[in-house]
Amino acid sequence: MSEYLRFEKISMEFPGVKALEDISFGVNKGEIVAFLGENGAGKSTLLKILNGDYHQTSGEIFIDDKEVEFNSPNEAIKAGISVIYQERQLAPYLSVAENIFMGNPPVKGGFIDFKDLNKKAKVIIDEFDLPIEPDEQVRNISVAYQQMVEIMKAYNRKSRIICFDEPTASLTDSEIKILFKIIKKLKDEGKVVIYVSHRINEIFELTDRVVVLKDGKLMDIKNTGETNAKELIKLMVGRDLGDVFDSLSRNEKIGPTVLELKGVNTKYLEDINFQIHAGEVVGLAGLVGAGRTEIARVIFGIDPIKSGSMVLDGKPYVPKSPRQAMNRGVALCPEDRKMEGLALIRSVRENTSLAILGSLCKAGFVDSKREFSFTKKAIKNFNIKTPHMEQEVINLSGGNQQKVILARWMSMNPKLIILDEPTKGIDVGAKSEIYDMICEVAKQGVAVIMISSELPEIIGISDRILVLKDGRIKANILRKEATEQNILSFAMIDDHKSAEEGV
Amino acid sequence: MPTETVEKKDSKFNLDIKKIMKSGNIGLIIAIFAIVLVFSILNTNYFTSRNLINILTSASLTGLICVGESLLLIGGYMDLSPGSTAAFAGVAAALLMKAGYSAPITVLIVILVGALVGCCNAFFITQLKINAFITTLALQSILRGFAFIISNGEGVLITNSAFLKIGTFKIFGVPFLTFPIFFMLLIFIVFGITLKKTRFGREIYVVGGNPTAARLSGISLKKTTYILFIIMGVLAAVGGMILVARMNTGQPQACSGLEFDGITAAILGGVALSGGIGSISGAFIGLLILQCFNNGLIMLNVQSFWQNVAKGTLLLLALSFDYLRSRRRVK
Repeated sequence: MSEYLRFEKISMEFPGVKALEDISFGVNKGEIVAFLGENGAGKSTLLKILNGDYHQTSGEIFIDDKEVEFNSPNEAIKAGISVIYQERQLAPYLSVAENIFMGNPPVKGGFIDFKDLNKKAKVIIDEFDLPIEPDEQVRNISVAYQQMVEIMKAYNRKSRIICFDEPTASLTDSEIKILFKIIKKLKDEGKVVIYVSHRINEIFELTDRVVVLKDGKLMDIKNTGETNAKELIKLMVGRDLGDVFDSLSRNEKIGPTVLELKGVNTKYLEDINFQIHAGEVVGLAGLVGAGRTEIARVIFGIDPIKSGSMVLDGKPYVPKSPRQAMNRGVALCPEDRKMEGLALIRSVRENTSLAILGSLCKAGFVDSKREFSFTKKAIKNFNIKTPHMEQEVINLSGGNQQKVILARWMSMNPKLIILDEPTKGIDVGAKSEIYDMICEVAKQGVAVIMISSELPEIIGISDRILVLKDGRIKANILRKEATEQNILSFAMIDDHKSAEEGV
Repeated sequence: MPTETVEKKDSKFNLDIKKIMKSGNIGLIIAIFAIVLVFSILNTNYFTSRNLINILTSASLTGLICVGESLLLIGGYMDLSPGSTAAFAGVAAALLMKAGYSAPITVLIVILVGALVGCCNAFFITQLKINAFITTLALQSILRGFAFIISNGEGVLITNSAFLKIGTFKIFGVPFLTFPIFFMLLIFIVFGITLKKTRFGREIYVVGGNPTAARLSGISLKKTTYILFIIMGVLAAVGGMILVARMNTGQPQACSGLEFDGITAAILGGVALSGGIGSISGAFIGLLILQCFNNGLIMLNVQSFWQNVAKGTLLLLALSFDYLRSRRRVK
């Protein structure tokens, strides 16, 4: 059986870095293959070569035994390759149908034939069995369905090879189920499906084979049914991460109260009450939109309080801006590293020293010697992998970008640090490094609030977990008592239901 | 020991050369030489000390605008109003002196007017969240209108000899170092150092690189925006006064398209249109290229309509370079 898509000795070199080395493998029609590897292992590079963003330094790609060469994404699309990205590439104010037929709408006399467009779109939507209308504006449908629109767009282009790059990052569990159904349908229709994800569970649920990459080299190709998570992680990182959380050296000494929220109400939050102590790690769990990030924003002075009060270190705390919050010793590592955390085109040095720049200055002038030694120390302490401190942050892997942000905020010796999804989109190896850093921070007596969508992570790291739903705190669970089930049941089950059951 | 220090110096020197090469300024310096060479061949009067002073003198006004625009562009903004601000400032200065105000008081008032214009721009941009391009376009029209209104559309003669000295007196008696040229160089040096060495300079880069990240790192976007636009307004007002001091007359139609030259020079010099990247030293080289080029066209008696075409083409060229640079960055 000859494979439909074949990579033959693909190598990719960037100045000073071998991103891919001698990669050869093939994928059959009707097969779902996962690319697994740490950030920087070469998954995205391989995907970008396939979709024409990059051109490989050497090696060939064959489709249907014919060699192909793409010099732009457009050429790859014409050759039947579609990549569904984490960030959706849709026009929000156009309808579902217009998006599906973007680039090739049915035309009558030079004008778009909307009747025909909606009819044709409806056929595809029905084929996928989705409850959306062709004339609905894309911005009005949920994130998951937007992704389905993107898939239908690829489907409509008659793409034979469909790649998914971290498609589930912002989806809820039920939405993921719908996505998987669709992906399986694509498989049944004989498409080549490539699936890139950090979530190992998904790989087992969905894929037929796993291509494991490490440092640009092909480590192994496993049949998914014949391997297990431990083995795959071992291949990815070259070490056993079986029980990351058990081996963490936690802080045992919980100190006095650092921050207390009393009956805080905002536009998004209702009657929030909790305390956090020095050296304590409090996890905020809940579904996307439950109010986790909003709590972070209130504490960091971004969103205003409507009523209620906060007390920090025994004194009233009413931050009106991030600067005021910082002056009181509060730090926030925002959820979206690239959009909210980093000036990507600026250097590691400038990004790391940002929060404490004032203390590195003399009479308004930056003391470059002190900044240099500060950055050098930060790079070492936080194990930031960068060729030099003048490197633009855009060229660092996600894990190292996150370390830059952690280094920035820890350097101001905060009393309280809020980490919003600190390991989102980060590979397993860097994750465990970040976990170690969080425990280290707690040991130094810093109060830590961690927001995370990954339940094992939040159970593994937190001393205490607050579960949010619809802007309210539903439960306060100690780690010993926390299980994925009881957190999820607080996060997902509606009040009135349990009330009815009570009656 | 002594040999070691020599080596250290050497390595530092090498590093500087590398830095210059990397910053892409070397290509710009070559461009200046090429422009000067071509025009010198075409017109023997081009490469004379008299003409070089001409080039610097005409650069003295554009240079001030170029510094302000560079800071704004690096901070992620742009200002289309400085040409009108300069014209208004010039006319206002002439009128104030005509009304009997002394030169120092006039200068002070006009500087405050420039600062007010900056505040006005910043207010609409930060408070009402109106796009900088449109806000400053509106101010451009308003200030130009007022320049004509207060002068009745006519030039206002200046007789205050103390004020007129601003345009002509020579620093330390050096023939080419007239006050306008000296002041322009001073502004380049002051803001070059500010941008590179001070906390405020760093904040401009971060704000332009990622405003959200800057805000969440405790930088006040409002404050930065206000300061940047006030600097621009004051520089434009001072530039306008220096111009009228040179010309003896406040003309309401003066300085049209000045912002255009300032922005072109900045972008030619490697300041990124998308913000967060650039340097004042680069902008200075961009300014020299632009002025050598403009002056060359005048020396060759190129019709002014064609000069417009050439200027626009140069801006497109600069933007193309900017695009290529940004592509190389992202890799």
